[in-house]
Amino acid sequence: MRERILEGKGVTKSFGGLMAIHKVDFYLNEGEIVGLIGPNGAGKTTLFNVISGIYPLDEGELFFNGTSISSLKPFEICRLGIGRTFQIVRPFLKMTCLENILIGLIGRGERQKHLREKKKEARFYLEFVGLKGRENSVAKDLTLIEKKRLEMARALATNPKLLLLDEVLAGLNPSEILQALELIHIIRSQLRVTIFWIEHVMGAMMKASDRIIVLNQGEKIKEGKPEEIVSDPQVIEAYLGESNA
Amino acid sequence: MVFSSWRPIKQAMERAGFMKFWIFIPLIFLTLFFPFFLSQYWLHVMIISLFYVMMASSWNLIAGYTGQISFAHAAFAGVGAYVSGMLAVNMGIPAWLGILIGTSIAGLLGLGLGYLCIRMGGIYLSLTTLGFSEILRIIITNEDRWTRGTMGLQIPGFFIEYSKMSYYFLFLIVSVFFLWVIYRLIHSEMGLSFRAVLNDELAASSSGIDTIRVRILAFTISSAMAGMAGGLYGHYLMLITPDIPSLGQMFLVLAMAVIGGMGSFIGPILGAFILEILSEYIRIYGEYHVLLFGLVALGMARFAPEGIMGLLEKRWRLRKIS
Repeated sequence: MRERILEGKGVTKSFGGLMAIHKVDFYLNEGEIVGLIGPNGAGKTTLFNVISGIYPLDEGELFFNGTSISSLKPFEICRLGIGRTFQIVRPFLKMTCLENILIGLIGRGERQKHLREKKKEARFYLEFVGLKGRENSVAKDLTLIEKKRLEMARALATNPKLLLLDEVLAGLNPSEILQALELIHIIRSQLRVTIFWIEHVMGAMMKASDRIIVLNQGEKIKEGKPEEIVSDPQVIEAYLGESNA
Repeated sequence: MVFSSWRPIKQAMERAGFMKFWIFIPLIFLTLFFPFFLSQYWLHVMIISLFYVMMASSWNLIAGYTGQISFAHAAFAGVGAYVSGMLAVNMGIPAWLGILIGTSIAGLLGLGLGYLCIRMGGIYLSLTTLGFSEILRIIITNEDRWTRGTMGLQIPGFFIEYSKMSYYFLFLIVSVFFLWVIYRLIHSEMGLSFRAVLNDELAASSSGIDTIRVRILAFTISSAMAGMAGGLYGHYLMLITPDIPSLGQMFLVLAMAVIGGMGSFIGPILGAFILEILSEYIRIYGEYHVLLFGLVALGMARFAPEGIMGLLEKRWRLRKIS
C-alpha cells in the first residue's frame, strides 16, 4: 500500500454557533489526485484553511507524513510541504510575476542559496505554468487564468509534496479548462506532487480524480471512486440532485 | 574612450544597487561642493533636512514597505538623543559611542514593542506606538532631575571644534549610509518579503513567509535608524528638549513621507527637503506650518496616495506612451 501523506481524524471547526466542519475523517495517499466536492457552504474551503493552518482546529488531529500539524502556523505548514492556491485568487498584485514566484522560493527558508540562483529557479516555474515572457508584468495586469497560473507557480515554488487547489477551474472557458487539467497532470507526473482539489466543474473532476470525497453541511457523506460517487443516491440528493432533476 | 576608466566604478556601483549611475554624478558634485557656497543659515537648513531624510526614509521602511503605521518614530529618535546626551553629560562618554549605544537601545525597544504588539496586527501597532510616544515624552518632561525637562539638556557637540561644514558632511555620510542600507534591504529577499506582507499577508504566510518575523525585523531596523538619527541631531543642536520625541515632530516626518511618496525610495528624500526648506519660509507663522503640512498630507493621501513621486511617475509614464 502506498503511504498516507495526509490524514485527518475527527477534524472539527465551528464559527460561533455555526458548525462549518464536523468530525471529518479523511486521508490522502502519496501521488493521488483526490477531489473534494459538495454544495455551497459544505465546508470545503474551511477544510483547506484548517489544513493550511489559517484557522486553528477546534477538535481532532491532522497528520502530515505521520507528524501532527494541528498547532502549526501557516508558514510552518507550508515549509513542511503543503502548498495551496486560493478560491479567490491572491497573487501579490503590485509585484511582478517573477517576484511573486520568488516569494514562494524564499518561503522555503533556504538562506544559503543566492538570490540569483533563486531567480533562475523562479523562471523555471514561470515557464512550467506557461507564463514565459510575462516575467516583468505586474500581477494586477494579468488575466484571470494567468493569475491562477501564477498562483499555482508560487505554490509550486515552495516545493510542496501536497498541493491544495481551491477551484482553479472556476471562471475559465472550456479550452482554458483543458489547459489547466493538462497542467495538473503534468504537476503530478513531473513534480510528483499529491493533489487535493476542490472543484465545481464536475466533468473535469470525474475525469481527473482518482478518488472523490463528498462533504455536505460540514460532514463527510461519501467517499470513493468517481463512478461510485455519481451513482450514489445520497450524493445525488445532496449535490447533483439540483442539476439532474 | 575618455569614459572607459569609469566603467569599473560604474559596474561596482550598479552591483551595489545604484542602477541609474549617471543621475548620481551631478548629485554627488552638488552635495560635495554646493555647501561651500551656502551661508551658515542655509547650511543649517541643509543639515536639518538631512536629519529629516534619515527620519522619513527609515519610517518609510516600515510604513511604506510593510504597511505598519508606527507613531513612535520620533520617540525612538528621542531615545537616541537622550541616551547619548545623558551618557555624555553624566559619564563623559564620547558622542560617537553614546550614539551607538542610543541606537542599540532604540533598536532593542523597537524589538520589544514590536514583539508585543505586532502579532495583534492592524491598528493596534499604531495605538500602542502612539501611547509609547506620549509616555516617553511625559517621562522626559517630568524626570527633570535627569533630563532637565522642558528647559532642555545641554550636551557636548559631536566635534570638539564647532563647524557647520563638518556637521554637514557627517550628516551627509550617515544619510547616504542609511539610504544605501535601505536600498540594499528593499532589493534583497527581505525586501521582497516586506512587499509580499504589504500586498497580502495571508497569501505571504501561506507561501512560507514568517510574516510576524518579517514585520518585527522591519520595525526593529527602522527604530534603530531613528535612534541613530536622533542621537546625531541632539549632538548637533547641543540642546535636547522633549520636542524631539513629540508628536508634532512625528507628524512632520509622516507628512514628509506621505507628501514625497510612501513606498518609493526617492519619495521621502524629496519630501524631507521640500518640507524642511518650505517650513523655513513659512516660519513666521509659527507652529501653524505643521497644521498646513498636515492638511496638505491629508489632501495628498486622498487624491495622490503615492505622493509627489507617484505623480511624477504617472506623468513620466504618460509621456513615454504618447
